[in-house]
Amino acid sequence: MMAFRARRLEEAKRLSTSNLELLWWVFMRVSGVLLVFLVLGHLYTRAVLLNFHHDLTYDVVARNMSTVTWKFYNWLLLFLSILHGTNGLRYSIDDYLPSPRARVWVKVIVYTLVFLVTVFGTLSLWAWNYTPVR
Amino acid sequence: MYRGREGQWAFYLHRISGIAIILFLALHVTEISSSMFGPKWFNALLKFEENPIFGLGLVGVAALVLYHALNGLRIILMDFTSWGVKLQRQLWYAVWVVYVILGFPMLFIMLKHVFVGGA
Repeated sequence: MMAFRARRLEEAKRLSTSNLELLWWVFMRVSGVLLVFLVLGHLYTRAVLLNFHHDLTYDVVARNMSTVTWKFYNWLLLFLSILHGTNGLRYSIDDYLPSPRARVWVKVIVYTLVFLVTVFGTLSLWAWNYTPVR
Repeated sequence: MYRGREGQWAFYLHRISGIAIILFLALHVTEISSSMFGPKWFNALLKFEENPIFGLGLVGVAALVLYHALNGLRIILMDFTSWGVKLQRQLWYAVWVVYVILGFPMLFIMLKHVFVGGA
């Protein structure tokens, strides 16, 4: 199973060596559109509306992350961006690492790290349970 | 026709920004998730990150994200419309027009956050 590069959906169907590879090609486009809105929304609320550099504290993050809406928003953002980014990294590894042995090792390391980061992120997201002090 | 022209630059910038963004994402998720270790640790970490180097780093990542997002939409237009590939060069220039329109106010506000201090 090799990653491929295609310019059109028909071309992608023709070039794909497996249904899974075609599915990834489609996923990159679909998740890409969703991520444009999710990431720009994240940037707007966290970096433009909020002074991310000076006003960010445990309380601010905690209050935000304790609402179900923001938990879901951030979880979707985390999952889509991790899958989109890791698959993009896989394309790059296949393109720039000629040695099959090196590819396998780099992929094992990358996927392990990605898995750990995702688990850590998911755990922390659902761990937030902030009761404001009145 | 392709090599050294706009299309190739668009591709390389998309690759490089993508790789940089996934590396940042891994660090960013780890950093925010370390809030699980409690307010004392997390506030100390945030205090440490008030160094302008981190603020400017975030401005840089935002700049890469904006390019990757807009050029990604260009790729989707090329993939799913009948005219996208033919107009790919014009679309790339359109990406830069939107980039400046959205990016300039964002840059201004983010730099203000970094250097002008809290509300």
